[in-house]
Amino acid sequence: MELHLNADEIAFRDELRAFLKRELTPEVFAANRDHSEQGMWSETFTKAFRRKLGAAGYIGMGWPAEYGGGGRSRIYQAIFWDEMEYHRAPGLDRTVTYVPNAVMAFGSESQKAALLPAMSRGELSWFVGYSEPDAGSDLANVKTKAVEDGDHFVITGQKAFSSDAHMADYGWVAVRTDPASSRHKGLTMFIVDMKLPGVSISRHDTLAGWTHHSVNFDNVRVPRSMMVGEKDQGWKVIMGAIDFERAALASPGLVDYQFDRLLAWSLRDPHGNGRPADDPLVRADLVDLAVEAEGARVMNYWLASLHARGLMPQHETSLTVLVKRETSRLMDSVAMTMLGLHAPLRAGEPHAALAGEVELEYRDHLYFQFAAGGFDITRNVIATRGLGLPR
Amino acid sequence: MDITLDDDQTLLHETAVSFAQSALTPNRIRELETTADGFDPGVWREMAQMGWAGAPFPEAYGGAGIGPFELGLVVEALGQSALPSPLFSTVIEAGLLLLDAGSDAQKSEWLPRIAAGDAIVTTAISETGGGLAPQEICARIAPTGNGFRIDGAKLFVRDAGAAEAIICLARAGDNPHDLSLALVRTDAPGITRRRLQAAGGEALWEVRFENVSIDADAIVGQPGLGWPHVARLLLRGAAFKAAELVGIGKASLALTLDYAKTRIQFDKPIGSFQGVQHHCAEMFRDLEVSRLLTWQATGSLGDRLAGAREVAIAKLKCGRAIPALTRTAHQIHGAIAYYRDYPLELFYHRAIAAQAAYGDAAYHRRVLASMLTTDLPQFRGQGRHELPVHYF
Repeated sequence: MELHLNADEIAFRDELRAFLKRELTPEVFAANRDHSEQGMWSETFTKAFRRKLGAAGYIGMGWPAEYGGGGRSRIYQAIFWDEMEYHRAPGLDRTVTYVPNAVMAFGSESQKAALLPAMSRGELSWFVGYSEPDAGSDLANVKTKAVEDGDHFVITGQKAFSSDAHMADYGWVAVRTDPASSRHKGLTMFIVDMKLPGVSISRHDTLAGWTHHSVNFDNVRVPRSMMVGEKDQGWKVIMGAIDFERAALASPGLVDYQFDRLLAWSLRDPHGNGRPADDPLVRADLVDLAVEAEGARVMNYWLASLHARGLMPQHETSLTVLVKRETSRLMDSVAMTMLGLHAPLRAGEPHAALAGEVELEYRDHLYFQFAAGGFDITRNVIATRGLGLPR
Repeated sequence: MDITLDDDQTLLHETAVSFAQSALTPNRIRELETTADGFDPGVWREMAQMGWAGAPFPEAYGGAGIGPFELGLVVEALGQSALPSPLFSTVIEAGLLLLDAGSDAQKSEWLPRIAAGDAIVTTAISETGGGLAPQEICARIAPTGNGFRIDGAKLFVRDAGAAEAIICLARAGDNPHDLSLALVRTDAPGITRRRLQAAGGEALWEVRFENVSIDADAIVGQPGLGWPHVARLLLRGAAFKAAELVGIGKASLALTLDYAKTRIQFDKPIGSFQGVQHHCAEMFRDLEVSRLLTWQATGSLGDRLAGAREVAIAKLKCGRAIPALTRTAHQIHGAIAYYRDYPLELFYHRAIAAQAAYGDAAYHRRVLASMLTTDLPQFRGQGRHELPVHYF
């Protein structure tokens, strides 16, 4: 039991903070924020920044040395995710958190050799092709099919809710290879080059203002060498890899930023009417938020500690993501009811409170409630896998 | 950083859980709620033999020298079995107060006997107002020719019936903080005691002091400087009560899960219904957050920073979440657990008693709210970023 970061961990964190502060100045924010992108940064800047992360060694720092990684413990990984989120840095998505781990765990030697070095340099972008129009929470209902044809598989079907597919170099795609199969059986994972003929992308406007995408595969010929794991064994890969994604989502940096921003707001008195923080009711709300934020923070580092000890937390990961995301939504909703008439003013409106960010996040974070295992699905997972309740 | 138990901590916790689960039956625990002592003296002697009565004392005083975090694991285990014991009165309150403030003679006289399980000692802080602020202390301590006399009434005194001595907080002067601590033997003339009828398993007493004489060497610490010691006592009490609440929550959830897996209605275990599953997931969520915040609180008691923030956060969270968890536990059980012979009621009552002890949720919310404006760095905690001011 050691509740605090040790001296080496603090040194790493401080160096990382300095890096992020240097790279993400207010001028950089002003020039490169782009609310039409899910990540809130322009595609160009996101990709350039990811290369900087790669060059600084941050992407691969937790990877095993055999894949060119730094072999740092999961505590460092957690600090990295935490600080990236707090500074609202671009590029902290599946491309650096999920897919590399999945490739290391399930990819062939030639796939690892072909992809991991470029991924550690931050040169590749990915989309994850799990969801479909009829396969959301019920992921086993995948219908996109792949038909074997010599040394290739021919993929046809549609993937939906495909975050950042428009800027992806590759897709990590689940397809049905056994047409007679149903549910969890007969699925296979493929790595799909997005430049292949037959891949097309549709756009969907979200209520948060950014553009989401779906991906259509029309007789896309994918070489057998890009199959991940064994044929018809894709469910094992999906389930084995999904916790990599969740662990990164559990980071408390966003929640801490939300709290600090509101706290900073409460300590000012621009109109001479008294600071919000001097109102005991406002302060009581801030205290409640601080308690929940602290819970999300400690739980995240507990989860990282379990990983660092070499344990394989599963429902604990789902739980920690739930706590983080529910806390973030609590921040959104309490902040919106504190900011008064300014609360609904949008980003770009000069009178907007906190540059309209709280209003934007009130819409944007709505997806926390249903994406990557929504709140209620997560409660099902905790109840059945974690607490052993019968299905 | 490593927020997991090491092997020694795991062993201590497992030992404590296993001891507490087999020490007493639920019926015996209920029976003890009405006895004068409120706990089983034989069980307390066994606990002393395991080293828990002197757990946080140095070895020189017969103690085990374990840290506050480890003591919290023991407290959690006792809470998990609703096991009544004088651990709070004698060790967490009086024992650590003597260790903190007592003279060498007082420590040598009392701590080895406490550690051996031979002496029950308690503290008398709160009065009829029930508050935890120094200005609310009205009991008086006044010099006499060769010592002092004490007059006043104290409430919520743990284990006063079994106690050999009470360390009493009393007013020495009109300045709000001019308070002294005095160790009074309970057989002294002028002391009367009455057990309060209260929910939960702890024996709480009203103790009246009428013209009680004590010797000059019965003062604990410096005359008039008792309050800082009491403030630390309250902080420790809140942290360890949070640990007890975590144990109470664990037991309530475990009973609920067992019931949900075995109770058949509509031809299925009720735990297969999503309505029940989501309640259980929420209970687990609140329990795990409470547990981790409490680990942080008891762990921080050993820090130089003394953990005022961490303790307030933990007690606020546990004080709200765990009683709520026990209410949901009853909701899932239905009528069966409304009967007293079902063990859930033990935890329902202990939760509501524990949340009130050493500052309820409203108290700790005020502590943090006040810290926000008077000491922002402490309110925010260690390792924080500069506040974002580029918006303004």
